[in-house]
Amino acid sequence: MQQVVIGVLLKLLLFPAYHSTDFDVHRNWLAITSKLPISEWYFEDTSEWTLDYPPFFAYFEWILSKFVPKVVENDGCLDIVAHGNYGWPTVVFQRTTVLVSELVLAASLIYFTRSKAPLSYRQKMTAAAIIWFSPGWLILDHIHFQYNAMMFGLLVISITAVANGQMLVCAFTFASLLCFKHIYLYLAPAYFAFLLRAYIFENNKLSWLNGVKLAAVVVAPALASFGPFVLQLPQVLSRLFPFSRGLTHAYWAPNFWALYTFAERVLGVVRHNSSAAATRGIVGQIEFVNLADITPRITAVLTLFYQVLSVIPLFLKPTYDQFLGSLTLCGFASFLFGWHVHEKAIMIVIVPFAFMAVSSRSYALAFSPLLVAGHLSLMPLIFTPNEAVIKYVYTAVYLTVVLSVLPEIAPVKDQANRRFFAERYVFMYNALFVLLIPALAILPVIAKKFEFANLMLLSVYCALGVMGSWLALNTVYFSTDLLSK
Amino acid sequence: MPNPAGALLRAFDNPQWQWLLRYLVVGFAICIAASVGLGGYSGMGVPPMYGDFEAQRHWLEITQHLPPKQWYFYDLQWWGLDYPPLTAYHSWVLGKVGSWINPEWFALDSSRGYESAALKAFMRQTVLASEALTYLPAVFFYSLQARELFDLPVLDWALQLGTVLLQPTLLLVDNGHFQYNSVMLGLFVFSLYFLGSKHLVPASICFVSAMFFKQMALYYSPVIFFAILGCTTSIRPLNIKFGSLVAVGTTVIVTCLLLLCPFLQKDLLAQLVIRVFPFSRGLWEDKVASLWCTANTFIKFKVLFSDAQLRQFALIATLVGMSPSCIQAYRRPTKTVLPWCFASCSWAFFLFSFHVHEKNVLLPLMPTTLLFFTSDQTTRAMVAWINNVAYFSMWPLLKRDGLAWQYCIVVILWNYLFGLWKAQPTRIFHQLVVAGSYAAIGLVCITEKFGLMPMLDKYPDLWTVANITISFACFVYFWLWQTVAMLLTK
Repeated sequence: MQQVVIGVLLKLLLFPAYHSTDFDVHRNWLAITSKLPISEWYFEDTSEWTLDYPPFFAYFEWILSKFVPKVVENDGCLDIVAHGNYGWPTVVFQRTTVLVSELVLAASLIYFTRSKAPLSYRQKMTAAAIIWFSPGWLILDHIHFQYNAMMFGLLVISITAVANGQMLVCAFTFASLLCFKHIYLYLAPAYFAFLLRAYIFENNKLSWLNGVKLAAVVVAPALASFGPFVLQLPQVLSRLFPFSRGLTHAYWAPNFWALYTFAERVLGVVRHNSSAAATRGIVGQIEFVNLADITPRITAVLTLFYQVLSVIPLFLKPTYDQFLGSLTLCGFASFLFGWHVHEKAIMIVIVPFAFMAVSSRSYALAFSPLLVAGHLSLMPLIFTPNEAVIKYVYTAVYLTVVLSVLPEIAPVKDQANRRFFAERYVFMYNALFVLLIPALAILPVIAKKFEFANLMLLSVYCALGVMGSWLALNTVYFSTDLLSK
Repeated sequence: MPNPAGALLRAFDNPQWQWLLRYLVVGFAICIAASVGLGGYSGMGVPPMYGDFEAQRHWLEITQHLPPKQWYFYDLQWWGLDYPPLTAYHSWVLGKVGSWINPEWFALDSSRGYESAALKAFMRQTVLASEALTYLPAVFFYSLQARELFDLPVLDWALQLGTVLLQPTLLLVDNGHFQYNSVMLGLFVFSLYFLGSKHLVPASICFVSAMFFKQMALYYSPVIFFAILGCTTSIRPLNIKFGSLVAVGTTVIVTCLLLLCPFLQKDLLAQLVIRVFPFSRGLWEDKVASLWCTANTFIKFKVLFSDAQLRQFALIATLVGMSPSCIQAYRRPTKTVLPWCFASCSWAFFLFSFHVHEKNVLLPLMPTTLLFFTSDQTTRAMVAWINNVAYFSMWPLLKRDGLAWQYCIVVILWNYLFGLWKAQPTRIFHQLVVAGSYAAIGLVCITEKFGLMPMLDKYPDLWTVANITISFACFVYFWLWQTVAMLLTK
């Protein structure tokens, strides 16, 4: 509880910080949901920031808009305009809603620490602290501006429900979560497989009753959210799934494609035949001259392949641990191989993995490079100099603390000799962040010309960490004994 | 542990993780300071003269482009340099770095009143960097010394370090209002640290540097003088360590000469002294909770007496006020007693001396805040209380700078985090005074905020007068209490 209050006070100080266009996006949604009838929500396009989250999120904005005080309304908070014209009152109001909505995450973590998950209280607290104090929320929600912490709160509830054996709670919260933000569809295979195996085929027998219950629990939120839009479904779906973007983002999210594009870049320099677009790093399509071009189909196949692979063990042994592993691997697969992945999505991997990392030393080892890479990759999101000190110092302290505490908390469960080399590599990798943070802070000042090169190097460094973490997790996950009880 | 910060840090009480505590505390302090920096600064967007931010920026500009000979002469109407040379050198270094990033920021004359987000970020970061190089290590080393002295458990030590580093008044004045006080205070704390370990030569180097950074460090000089004298001489039995005395004397003179190096000409020195010591600038400036300004509400000193007479009164009052601390510093120049002496002496200066600014309260607050390194409940409570009152006395200034938001959050954070709002002195009379003053402060804040008394609106200065009167009463009470405590400390 006290941790929550400390966090809140620090975040209140961040109110005047820079906010991205996402702030205006959410402001515009507030305006749309408050001023227009529900039938026009997904058609309104005065502003380019159209509503592109599922309906529960729209309802959430609608509820928030009921709380807008007069002062804030007069400030231009609820005007449907192309570009928001707002001042300090709107900022205070919207930032406060983020703070309040973040309490969902806090509550869910408290719920987790009191759950039946097979961990000691100390381990549970550590996992909760790793998530709660993550600089991710500070950067994504409180500076950049989004409502991620609330969504992840729902995710944590559904994971905890699995630990408690409350399958229906799990299914219900996850289905609702999907109706808030559909990016969590990436995690759906693990949920689907797990619920199918552990609930419908409970004790290796098909249970029709459970099937009906489960279906009811999943369909209810879907109906409640998409129900009012049933006639406009094609329009809603076209908003939710725009397929017109490039393989990588302007700044490459640290995934497999970042390494792939980097290889293309290197080959281009070596062979002197790089295409203009690839060297410039402009948003949009990158032409691959030296390597095979990547289509959305390829990324989808790769993602699905690795997701299915991670789900198979779940059918053999539908336990909480296996579920977490496959959930994390699903997140990894989508992050590493997905089309137009944003670096923000790394939290989808970090959060479920954190619950696993405290359970054994091997997982902790696999987790640590992800933690470093994932958080460092968020740094360029906040590019204004005013916030630089905060994000770097906070992240450095956070990583130092977690990396030192985690190995002591996670118990050794298997033979240590297999990990010797891995430990050394991970240590070297993690130690690099100590050098990288000052380098990141200083380089942009010294060399403005190489700004993109800096980002590219950071992206490659982080991609290596994420890939390494994924490989390590695969090794540990698939080498666990699946047949023993 | 009754406070939230303690509850959090207790997770690291395990010996193998104790080394993390210092990084956590220092990192948190830096994050808070940087977050305060997101707010406004003195004179932001207020032409024609802007404020302290512009003054500092201007000094970075002139030290860049002019030879040292002109520093104290150049266009004095536009924020002429009025701090001693070390500030000027400091500005010169920062200006070099800044000009290298963007020469426009510090172009001679044409950059006056320059404002941009990037410049603000740069200037804020120079404050943080200066603080990280002086104030943070000074307080850190001092805290290690205090930990040994009072035999503090590591967790208590970490909490007290946090309490001192997050001292709200300094946080807001340096990172909000915009000044480099932490450099001077850091040098002073270093000299206190060296005095505590009886290293007189480094102590005097640090102290002279502090004085040459901001002349206000003079508030501490009587105590440092008598402490050094006390370390090197004794009356009964008569014994003088000539060696150390000569070493200290030489160090002081050499340091002064080195720092004054470019100004060793008669007219330059004279101008420097005129700029640095503003004897012609009156008994006080703005509204400040010193004796003269507060009593002025009831007795019009400036009408009754001439400036020269007033100067004499101020001198006599200050001399009387500082004498107990000087005597004590001479008799017992020890680690335990010295912070008390410094506090008592600088409070006397703040309350009674000539030409005091409201920001000068930082000087008595520094040694006072260091008294947090203790296991005594009453001391802790009184120090927390006077810190809050001093913070309150800065309200009119900080409100003008557009820092009201940060002002409220930081004080809540500090009091809540370290459980200071619950700290109570043991004696009932102290408790009454503390509670009474908080009630008065609350009343002033609420009536000012909500305009409950419209008939008072024709006296716009009323809130400020109420503010300084309450603050002055509290300061005097605290000064008396801690002077007595100083004399009783063994």
